[in-house]
Amino acid sequence: MDTTQAAKFPIRSETTRRGLIWRTIAIARNAFREAVRDRVLYNLVLFVLLLTGAAIFIGELSGGQERKIIVDLGLSAMLLIGVFIAIFVGVGLVYKEIERRTIYTIFAKPVTRGEFIVGKYLGLCLTLLVNVVVMGTGVSLALIYVRRGWDPLSLSIWPAILLIYLELMILTGVALLFSSFSSPALSALLTFFIFIIGHFSADLKGLATSMGSTSARWLFGGLYYLLPNLTNLSYITPAGHGQVPHVSHVAAAILYSLIYIVVILSLATLIFSRRNFK
Amino acid sequence: MTESKLTRRDGALLLTVLIGLIGVYSLSRWIDAHRPAANRSIEQEELYLNAATVKRLSLGFNGLAADWYWMRSLQYVGGKIINLPDNVQLDHLGQLNLKLVAPLLDAATTLDPQFMEPYQYAAVVLPDVDAGEATRIIQKGIAANPLQWLLYHHLGFIYWQQQDFKAAGEAYEQGANLVGAPQWMKAMRARMASEGGSRDTAREVYRRLCEEASDSQIKNMARKRLLLLDSLDMQDGLRKLMAAYQSKTGHCPGSWREMGSLLNASRVQVDPSGSPLDPAGTPYLLVPDKCEVNINERSEVPYK
Repeated sequence: MDTTQAAKFPIRSETTRRGLIWRTIAIARNAFREAVRDRVLYNLVLFVLLLTGAAIFIGELSGGQERKIIVDLGLSAMLLIGVFIAIFVGVGLVYKEIERRTIYTIFAKPVTRGEFIVGKYLGLCLTLLVNVVVMGTGVSLALIYVRRGWDPLSLSIWPAILLIYLELMILTGVALLFSSFSSPALSALLTFFIFIIGHFSADLKGLATSMGSTSARWLFGGLYYLLPNLTNLSYITPAGHGQVPHVSHVAAAILYSLIYIVVILSLATLIFSRRNFK
Repeated sequence: MTESKLTRRDGALLLTVLIGLIGVYSLSRWIDAHRPAANRSIEQEELYLNAATVKRLSLGFNGLAADWYWMRSLQYVGGKIINLPDNVQLDHLGQLNLKLVAPLLDAATTLDPQFMEPYQYAAVVLPDVDAGEATRIIQKGIAANPLQWLLYHHLGFIYWQQQDFKAAGEAYEQGANLVGAPQWMKAMRARMASEGGSRDTAREVYRRLCEEASDSQIKNMARKRLLLLDSLDMQDGLRKLMAAYQSKTGHCPGSWREMGSLLNASRVQVDPSGSPLDPAGTPYLLVPDKCEVNINERSEVPYK
């Protein structure tokens, strides 16, 4: 975000809550615009091509299972592409501002470091939301095309899409947390590790219970609860069978994600507040 | 502002790209043509990762991985039967050495235990290849989906093919007790107990398989089996007519025309040459002077 762009948005009050919200929104809007300028949304073209190809050709290969495969393929691609965006754009959000030295211009204005972190985070989340909604619509349309008419799956996949979005929100927060104190390459690597470990949570728990020593049990048990349990947000496979998660499951997943995101962003702000840019 | 006109250097670069691509294409074709043929005797046919490991490594993409293994199993079987005659049957592939089909279907069902089509494929294709694996995969499916009556139908089908009518009856009974199970599951249980090996039972089994299958290959296989059963009934009828002809004339018919009146009286469908037609509409072959009837090679009806 350069000086001129920052000046375009209202920075009303340094102290009021309304001012805080406005400043955060201004940073978020700029982060979104920057992502669009960086052609991040071009991935949608790739996604549309993938889905169109699948809708046309998969019928011949799948033994009549094209609807399930379109859901699996579409939602998996949505998650994978989202993870790449969350990691590679997320780790650059803070670093680019420091590298270009535009961060001095931003902090010369009445913007706190917390507002900066949260604004950047929300900007990328908005980019991911656009991605996920467009991709979800694409999957629904592909299902309608394959069925040559209305398909209940085209509606029942949306709770699973919401869970995918929550997973991406957590990963964006993790990427931002690492990038608040580390280099982009290392941040990307660490975030990717968290993505992998997040899907191995059940193994961590199993390891904790099977360990002989108490300290090892505590270590793995602690890691299980400390690291994000992304399997809670994984509902792609049942969605392929037309299953919809229970409302309580979705509500718990939303709450879990929100709490986790608040924790990560608080940590990121804490670390970033102590960072010296000189 | 950059110059938009193509310079000589740009032209040279484009030409290099073009020539390079042509070179790559030509070399790829040369390499493909001169690649030594794989030695089938030493060629390893096994999955590098077992189903449980694949599930662990799938990172939440297990549905997609299951689809991949499912399509691979279809391609694997399809690749093996592509050079065989058209009337090859999916449930008689034992001689093809389909070593990979069990681990592929096992992987697909481990990755996505609710994915029903691989179970059906396992029930139809696997018994002739590895009956133990077929039973194990279906039982694994039942453990993961205890309320799915269709899996009991698959299990009953496997036992019925093995001519274990008692176990087949038990499987149908267990399935029939589940909520949502159709009435015919109960009837099937009774039929297995009283006349498991009969042609009528076979007809009922294949009729239900044809109704429940979503895979066109399996539907087609069941349809052909039904044609075969109808054809066997017809052949029995023709043999009876030939026996009647023989007792009347003292010899077996030399051609179908000689039996024209008998065939007409029995309302058997015949073609313009007077040959009786099988259920697929192809004329039967008469073995002259032997009172025997054969299925035409051109017929859609399988031999066995």
